[in-house]
Amino acid sequence: MTGPAEHPRRSFLYRTLGAAGARWHVVDDAAVAADYGDPDGERETARRMGLADLSPLPRTGFKGAGTPEWLSAQGISVPDESNRATRQDNGILACRLAPAELLLLGPLSGEGEALADLDEAWAKEPVPPETPRGFPVPRRDSHAWFCVTGERAPDMFAKVCAVDLRPAHFAELSIAQTSVARSAAVIVREDLGGVSVYHLLSDSAGSAYLWDCLIDAMAEFDGHPVGHSALLALA
Amino acid sequence: MSRTERLPAPWGLLVDRETEVSFRFEGRHYTGLAGDTLASALVANGQHMMSRSFKYHRPRGWLTMAGLDANTYVQVGAHPNTLADRVPIEEGLSAAALNVSGSLDRDRDAMLEHLGRFMPVGFYYKAFYKPKGAWKFWEKVIRAKAGLGRIHQDDHHEYHDKAYLFADVAVIGGGPAGLSAALEAARQGAEVVLIDEEPVVGGWLNWGRVDDGPSEAARLGAELAKHEKVSVLSRATCSGWFADNWLAIVQDNRLFKLRAQAVVAATGAVEQPMIFRNNDLPGVVLGSAAQRLMRLYGVKPGTRAVVATANPHGYAVALDLADAGVEVAAVADLNHRPESSPERRQARERGLQILDGHTVYEALPGAGKRHVAGVMLDAVAGEGEVAGNPQRIDCDLVCMSVGYSPLGQLVCHSGGRMAYDEDLASLVVDALPPAAQIAGSLAGAWDLETAMAQGRQAGFMASGQAGVSLGEAPPAPATAMPQRVNHPWPIFSHPKGKDFVDFDEDQTVKDVKNAVADGFEDVELVKRYTTVGMGPSQGRTSALNAVRLTNKINGRGLSGGVVTTQRPPFKPVSFAHLAGRSFDPVRYTAMHHRHIEAGAQMMVAGMWMRPAYYAPVGERARAIQDEARAVRENVGLIDVSTLGGLEVRGPDAAEFMNRMYTFAYKKQPVGRSRYVLMTDMSGAVSDDGVACRMNEQHFYVTATTGGADAVYRTMLRWNAEWRLEVDIANVSGAYAGVNIAGPKSREVLSGLDCDIDLSAEAFPYMGVREGRLAGIPVRMLRVGFVGELGYEVHCPASYGEALWDLLMEAGQPFGIRPFGVEAQRLLRLEKGHIIIGQDTDGLTTPHEADMAWAIGRKKPFYIGKRSVDAQAARPLTRKLVGFTLPDTSPLPEECHLVLRGEEIAGRVTSAVRSPAVGKIVGLAYVHPDDSEPESTFTIKLGDGQRIEGTVVPLPFYDPEGARQEM
Repeated sequence: MTGPAEHPRRSFLYRTLGAAGARWHVVDDAAVAADYGDPDGERETARRMGLADLSPLPRTGFKGAGTPEWLSAQGISVPDESNRATRQDNGILACRLAPAELLLLGPLSGEGEALADLDEAWAKEPVPPETPRGFPVPRRDSHAWFCVTGERAPDMFAKVCAVDLRPAHFAELSIAQTSVARSAAVIVREDLGGVSVYHLLSDSAGSAYLWDCLIDAMAEFDGHPVGHSALLALA
Repeated sequence: MSRTERLPAPWGLLVDRETEVSFRFEGRHYTGLAGDTLASALVANGQHMMSRSFKYHRPRGWLTMAGLDANTYVQVGAHPNTLADRVPIEEGLSAAALNVSGSLDRDRDAMLEHLGRFMPVGFYYKAFYKPKGAWKFWEKVIRAKAGLGRIHQDDHHEYHDKAYLFADVAVIGGGPAGLSAALEAARQGAEVVLIDEEPVVGGWLNWGRVDDGPSEAARLGAELAKHEKVSVLSRATCSGWFADNWLAIVQDNRLFKLRAQAVVAATGAVEQPMIFRNNDLPGVVLGSAAQRLMRLYGVKPGTRAVVATANPHGYAVALDLADAGVEVAAVADLNHRPESSPERRQARERGLQILDGHTVYEALPGAGKRHVAGVMLDAVAGEGEVAGNPQRIDCDLVCMSVGYSPLGQLVCHSGGRMAYDEDLASLVVDALPPAAQIAGSLAGAWDLETAMAQGRQAGFMASGQAGVSLGEAPPAPATAMPQRVNHPWPIFSHPKGKDFVDFDEDQTVKDVKNAVADGFEDVELVKRYTTVGMGPSQGRTSALNAVRLTNKINGRGLSGGVVTTQRPPFKPVSFAHLAGRSFDPVRYTAMHHRHIEAGAQMMVAGMWMRPAYYAPVGERARAIQDEARAVRENVGLIDVSTLGGLEVRGPDAAEFMNRMYTFAYKKQPVGRSRYVLMTDMSGAVSDDGVACRMNEQHFYVTATTGGADAVYRTMLRWNAEWRLEVDIANVSGAYAGVNIAGPKSREVLSGLDCDIDLSAEAFPYMGVREGRLAGIPVRMLRVGFVGELGYEVHCPASYGEALWDLLMEAGQPFGIRPFGVEAQRLLRLEKGHIIIGQDTDGLTTPHEADMAWAIGRKKPFYIGKRSVDAQAARPLTRKLVGFTLPDTSPLPEECHLVLRGEEIAGRVTSAVRSPAVGKIVGLAYVHPDDSEPESTFTIKLGDGQRIEGTVVPLPFYDPEGARQEM
């Protein structure tokens, strides 16, 4: 057990999570809320309506001319069209936000080596590059990473977001770039263990605000915060 | 009334006879049944009067029993303007009448109706504005008399929110047509949302005289429930239909926002009142209202009734009344030769007294005018005329069934139209919005088979409009459409008046006549002049007769006459619903909690929260001075994470920068920063910051806290046009930042593990470096906004708090202290640095702001260059200058005026007491002739006092810049 303030990298809302009873474990180089004191219950909650903060987990992004080609050359399976995601063998979720913009979510396990390798490979190339290769975007810091889980998630989202996210209308690995509680957000659906999980990426500076909005919106569905462990159990 | 006095089942479909509910009305205890509305429970207790009228305080009772009129407006607890025939009773509910002065029974203002002749239409337009100043007196009187509910400002907050809904087909109305439409659309595979105001679906199947009506309603409801893709919103009101089928729906404490591909409106029709003297007395009701009361709530509406009708529905009402044990004294049919119908035949067979060609000409009030006690019937002698041989019939109930008006208001919200059809003597929906269908009585279908067939057709068509694959089309309605049920002129004006057209506003036939006589001939003008249709029921029970009267009086004829513009909401929507669960995003920097812990007073800066100063509120001035002194003499730390951050990268990055900003950037060395000033196309200053050249193809550009998003959008917009090889990324939230400033700042940093050479030689003023500070990846900028040796340290946001902790700890031996935005404003002002938006406005040019030095004159282009050049060629009309005042002078505030003689020449933009300078220092726009150093100009303070400022060269502090460049 370790506290989030013992690490230089900290979740944007670790105090909020702490106040909710978070217990921590270290993933990559930061502490993540492992659970909130009831790991078994949280696994069930995650199937119904859960909210997890994965902000400390590795992720990155690239954008600009040459991005898809360069990432493909690095072995990333790039989705054929915008607003779609593809799962990589190593657990990375490659989310194409625009023809030349990708968001790469690291595996839920927190394994960050593959993404670090990508960043390193990009940095090693000369400036100016011989061919366009896009530019890195600091998604791990620009965006908080929440996971909204469970069958009632679409009902909860309907209170804060104008996009129809019900499974029948928002296929797995679809992406919505939209507004959630008036904050710009990227939503990616990825099913884990038969449960719909919505990765929600939004302004890191507004993450405490958005967390409160989501907790408020999910209350009527008996939704609660769930820890990283509950998500790993789903997967 | 105890439950045993209710009508026996199957009357009372909605009430649970085993569950009594206690409530209070006007301070008295009553008992109703679960499932009752407040209105039905009151009538069950013999309390027909529920409120008084808005203008004359006349007694008013239930009229539609469907929430379509304003007669039943009551105050329920803290909820003003609640419809008693809609609100369910709950244990302990407490309600009171509206528009009463005193009590409902004894209203001091009831005498107002005797003054009615002094209050003709438009009287207040004419009466209260003379002599001059009279309105100030009368306004208070009128406002005090104005009724409707009271807002309890100290009541507890209720939770209201909003939610989106999605559907292929939305069906508004849960009557037989709506249910059929929903079923058919569902059969076609469409996802359907059915919106119904009632607690159970079925509409008039549940309250009309229909064989096995409730059973059929239940069957349809059950069939609907089998479809997984159908949702039913009961007790829900669609209050608005906006473009692209965006429906606003109120249910309980939630406002739904439904976007449907296609909409079926099956909203029905509302019976219309007749117009005769005292037609507003409690006990004078619509026939359908009496049926609702009996069938839905099991309540007898009266003991002895007169039914006025002009269609089979009135006979059905009479038969229902007779079935319920109400003595039907007479059925007055306005038609001289009514068409035969099963209901009329049955009425004859039951022995009811039927008077063809007769009408109610006057309702007679009982004691206190609180209820109808009888009617004067007379033979109809012509349009709106009677023979003059009235006969009195005593009764305590008058039912009016002379026709309907389609509830087409929602259809009209989104582009549909209602117009008068003389053949049908009715308003009809004659134009529809795109992707919309109508069915049922809204579309003129008055029998069950036709309504349902029409509903199925509408559901089928709507499915097609929604893009759902179509199966076989249902058969078309067999009955020729449409059927006439309206009497063309159920209006019998009385020489003694009180013949109300609009119950909400107490407007009579005479008022409409006077409006037209005053020159307000169009129905829209009549509405505004008389207020007919402007009350809470928005003309639902008055528009039809108002159209008839207006167009008849003005001689334009009825055919094609349109109703006034129908606007949302269809029914009143509470402010709580509109406000809902509001979302106001707020951004916190990574160090936010450290500021709170240090006792900061936070201030709003755009969406951000920033520390203003670190002290209790009462110690503001001292704290700002102390914080500034710490920076000047020692070392201070400020959170600058809120600054905008933009990455401009690519082969054309320098060219892009050159076009976006006024300065020159092509030759800017890597590792150096340079001031950026942005102007818009009009040449006005719009933003500033610094550009850090990280490599040949990469600029890291800062922007103002409030301007970052706009700068980003501007950049994207221009590059979409220029198509330069450049990528722009807004990384404002991705980087936290601090400015560690003061003569000891280098010493603090030097004590940390840092792979950047911090010496003045290796890292000079305006230098930019990347590296690691105690393991944290950082970008460091040597900038001088506060005029001291300083370093802006930017790091990934998730490291921001750790960076703050690191520097505060390292600075402890040097007495480091955090400083807030207020101290920073003081320090920058001493250096003469402007703040965009404070020292500039939307029109400020670089030359006015004395910033011509930031313009690259040799550049062929930058945004706004043409305008800036044109402005530069003209004489200035104002100029921003630095000024001082003696320290003993009053402190001017921002926007205090600068005068030249008695003319306004400019304004103060910033002013502070400067501890470093020992004077008040400030910036102000002055006349160009007063802008030279040592000139003086006049500042007019808020209290009118005038003081003389002296222009001085900028900056006020360390003009050589030695302190920041050390």
